[in-house]
Amino acid sequence: MIFSFVSISRFGLMNSGQDSTSQDSAEQGDSAASSSDDHRRSFIATGSAVAMTTGLVASYGTFASMAGRFLFPAGGRRSVGWQFVAAVASWQPGKSLEYTAPSGATVVIARHGEADEAEAFIALSSVCPHLGCRVHWESQNDRFFCPCHNGAFDRQGVATQGPPAKAGQSLKAYPLKIEAGLLYVEAPLHSVGGDAPTAVAQNDPSAQNDSSAPDAVQADAVEKGRLS
Amino acid sequence: MNLKTKQIIIAVLSATFLISLIFVQWMEVALKQQEAGLRTHAISVPAKSRSCVECHQKSSPGIIDHWKGSTHAAKGVGCIECHQAHQKDVDAFDHYGATIATIVTPLDCSRCHKTEFEEFTHSHHSKAGNILASLDNFLAETVEGSREPFNPHSPTPGRDIDIVNGMASVNVGCRQCHGSKVAIQTLDGGLITVDDLQPGADGLPTNTTAVASIKRNSDGQPILDAASWPNTGIGRLNLDGSRGSCSACHSRHDFSPRRARQPENCGKCHLGPDHPQKEVYEESKHGVAFRDLKEHMNLDAHDWVLGRDYTQAPTCATCHMSGHTRNDGKVTHDPGDRISWTNRPPVSAVMDTDAEGKVVKEKDPEKRLALIADSWQQKRQRMKNVCLHCHTNNYVNAFYKQYDDFVVNYNEKFAKPGQKIMAVLREQKLITATQFDEEIEWTWFYLWHHEGRRARHGASMMAPDYAHWHGMFEVADRFYTKLIPQAREIAEHSREEGRRAEAEAVEKVIEELLARPEHEWYEGLKKLDEAKRLPAVKEEKESAEN
Amino acid sequence: MTRLADWINERIPVSGEQLRELTNEPVPNHLRRWWFCLGGTPAYLFVVQIFTGILLALYYQPAPASAYESIRYITEEAAFGWYLRSMHKWAATLMIAAVILHQLRVYFTAAYRRPRELNWVIGMALLMCTLLTGFTGYSLVFEQLSYWGATVAANISDAVPLVGGTLKMLLLGGAEYNEHTLSRFFIIHAAILPTTITLLVIVHIAFIRMHGVTELRFDDDPPNEPRHFNFFPDHITTELLIGLLLMVVLSALATILPATLGAKADPLTTPEIIKPEWYFYVSFRWLKLFSLTFAVLSTGFILAAMFLWPWIDVGLRKLTGNEDISVWIGVGGTLLLIGLTVWEAVVTH
Repeated sequence: MIFSFVSISRFGLMNSGQDSTSQDSAEQGDSAASSSDDHRRSFIATGSAVAMTTGLVASYGTFASMAGRFLFPAGGRRSVGWQFVAAVASWQPGKSLEYTAPSGATVVIARHGEADEAEAFIALSSVCPHLGCRVHWESQNDRFFCPCHNGAFDRQGVATQGPPAKAGQSLKAYPLKIEAGLLYVEAPLHSVGGDAPTAVAQNDPSAQNDSSAPDAVQADAVEKGRLS
Repeated sequence: MNLKTKQIIIAVLSATFLISLIFVQWMEVALKQQEAGLRTHAISVPAKSRSCVECHQKSSPGIIDHWKGSTHAAKGVGCIECHQAHQKDVDAFDHYGATIATIVTPLDCSRCHKTEFEEFTHSHHSKAGNILASLDNFLAETVEGSREPFNPHSPTPGRDIDIVNGMASVNVGCRQCHGSKVAIQTLDGGLITVDDLQPGADGLPTNTTAVASIKRNSDGQPILDAASWPNTGIGRLNLDGSRGSCSACHSRHDFSPRRARQPENCGKCHLGPDHPQKEVYEESKHGVAFRDLKEHMNLDAHDWVLGRDYTQAPTCATCHMSGHTRNDGKVTHDPGDRISWTNRPPVSAVMDTDAEGKVVKEKDPEKRLALIADSWQQKRQRMKNVCLHCHTNNYVNAFYKQYDDFVVNYNEKFAKPGQKIMAVLREQKLITATQFDEEIEWTWFYLWHHEGRRARHGASMMAPDYAHWHGMFEVADRFYTKLIPQAREIAEHSREEGRRAEAEAVEKVIEELLARPEHEWYEGLKKLDEAKRLPAVKEEKESAEN
Repeated sequence: MTRLADWINERIPVSGEQLRELTNEPVPNHLRRWWFCLGGTPAYLFVVQIFTGILLALYYQPAPASAYESIRYITEEAAFGWYLRSMHKWAATLMIAAVILHQLRVYFTAAYRRPRELNWVIGMALLMCTLLTGFTGYSLVFEQLSYWGATVAANISDAVPLVGGTLKMLLLGGAEYNEHTLSRFFIIHAAILPTTITLLVIVHIAFIRMHGVTELRFDDDPPNEPRHFNFFPDHITTELLIGLLLMVVLSALATILPATLGAKADPLTTPEIIKPEWYFYVSFRWLKLFSLTFAVLSTGFILAAMFLWPWIDVGLRKLTGNEDISVWIGVGGTLLLIGLTVWEAVVTH
């Protein structure tokens, strides 16, 4: 490519058109070559050259950094947020419910303690700690199973088989907090499909967990998320 | 142009470019700050409500957009959380797989906002629905309209009107502030309300026959009686037995605390000729400061604690409800919690309240003391704790001295005498038991219900013009030039009819009242003046003849 | 160090001498006058467009459901999004202006004459591509005016005899503006046209290098002055200077008159006042003056004449014997263009 360009330019110089004389340009080219060395020296040496270079680097550099900042999606749009789950007072210990996060992710939240504090609850993520696939509940095997690399977890989210068990990775628990008697979970907010994915059926908590969630959840699902 | 010049020009241009980029950076920051104000939180649609949002975004985007601006939206509280209903709820219906109800009651809100629910239930606000049996209601139901539907006066071109709903004024006027008794249509053309359903503490109806008789539309939705819904009156009597409507102040569907903190919110009801609290506030220094300093009031703050989050000016909420540094920022949803006089009745009474939050009417001091759960002094102290954020103790005490004196003056000079005159007229059967059928009844109603309240509210919230010109001046005018002459006319008229004893009883009351020193100027001095003036008039006449 | 140089030299066998020759083309003296650098200006702006365009494309979603929202996101939320979008918009405007000015300069200096006829044709193609890029880019915004502009343009293409229907179908991806239209516009705007422009520019420059830049002598030139100066560093500094000047102007325009976002496109309501971008005012006014078929055919005829001008010019000169005939026609044509543009600009309908 470059070679062809060079030959084109030679060709151009030798055959430059009728409006200019090839002799002239050739001579001029030679003398320019000798004087260009002087130019180059002064170009680097003089203060004006330094000012010019600094100016160019600073201004275009700033412009480039602004463009770089644009590459990062707008801030303030956190991918997780504290979301209301249910009132603590109406939640019996031992019961659990299936919470569907705004992103569409299902989170099984169970109350295992009597105390009115976040530690009495656990919210398990369905994201496998190994490589991020989705685990699902296998009621016949009483385990959460990850189809990607055959990872398995017990009810508490502790890995029992597969790569997660070898690495000692448990299912991630979502942070929980209680404010004014209401339980909040820090859950993922955005799904890949945007804020309002069209797959509605998937988000109906009662439709999904008939056979695929722990027994306690099944009992609750009948109540359509209303704890009693 | 030689090379060096060009280089210098390039350097200068780079600097210009750099400066313009700095300006760009500045604009970016300004823009983001502005947007941070406009967009306070990221919105996430809770999964359970996603289908509601998707559909209603198209069918009624206003609801959804409002909701998106709410704290509910930020915290993942969507449609279902509030609108969910129990299968057994009388107004429950299946809406695309979800069991919901149209009306969200305070009981529904109490699933999360329990304290607020309790405070509100305890408040006078929640009892605003009791108006349905009061004097004012007679005014709208009978005087302004008709309890029974009636035939049109004459045809309306273009409309086929065969019957007039005489309750219209009550539905649109009274009940939109005071609250309706929510009713569902029944199959036999009747209505059922909370009275028929007899709901238990959980809000579920115990009367199942009543539930079975309700009428539903083609979508299976129970048909709410149009006289009772739409309604966001603060004392609404709901089907689940709860009283009131949270959206009376916390407008659905954004439930904006910011809005509830501003006087306009209260101004839906607390304005006009009979209780112009909002106008009174606007005239006061408090309202003037608010208008000026609104932007600095931190109205979007999560907790809006006086003395910590703002001090610029008080709004209605500040003094009557909001938290402040002297009460650990505790908000109350009982706006009567800090009020020491009730200026609602003809004669102002102190706000000694019983365990149920009702004003104690008992006169016997000992019995009274036993009944009081929360005294007016306690309430006043709570208000003073608000005042003290900006005023000194002496200042606040002296204000209350001015206010107390004003109320007592109104009570003793006009309210009690007026009440006494009306009582004797009724006792002597010179006026009927029916309200508003005699002119004097309108006169008396104007005196206490409109002018008397304007005066007292003007005094309570530092609006001199309302205290005086819209208030006491008109009270006095009404009393001296209307009430007294009208009472005398009634007495005179009855004397002519031969009911001498009754007439004298009334006249005696009037004369005794007017003989009191505070009224002496009116006729006592007039008689004196006339006696003095008579010779003078004669002299004038004589000189004119000369 | 030498090993590294050897390694590179072995793989990229270009000598320093060749490189110098490649970059250090002698530049004729008349290029010291700024108006002869107008050809470099659109090239520089084209680079700006490629740069900002790639950045904008990272967030832009070419679908009717999300296009408007994605531009709102760029304008209101993404860091410096408003600035980059405004730069893109103003650089487009300046680029079109610069292309037109460059072409006017070439025309009035008769630089299209033998042997440079083909380069004129390429230049014309570049002008068409630039205008089309401007049009498709504006349509991507999916606000009311851009939507209705695109609709009108599609229906204009429909009026072209014989191929009109096919043309419209190809442009819109259907009989009417539909959900496939925006992605089509996007690919035309962001892939097809930029590639075409790049290729044409390469050929354009190659032609210039082959023919050498047209050299001009001015009466006030000192007689003994060398007729060329060096590309490096003399001419490159001029280009840098022009580039920076453009950046300053662009920044100023972007901050003072940032690109706004009008109402979202509503296929059910046409706005009361509908206008294309300024560079289409001429054709817009032309359409209002004549019947659609005539306007389309005459526009096609004029464009064809412009493409073939180097040859028409020869014919006209022979026919009339007037060497300056093209200048007079050019003056007339330019005045007509300016007149129609101004006319369209000052009236609302």
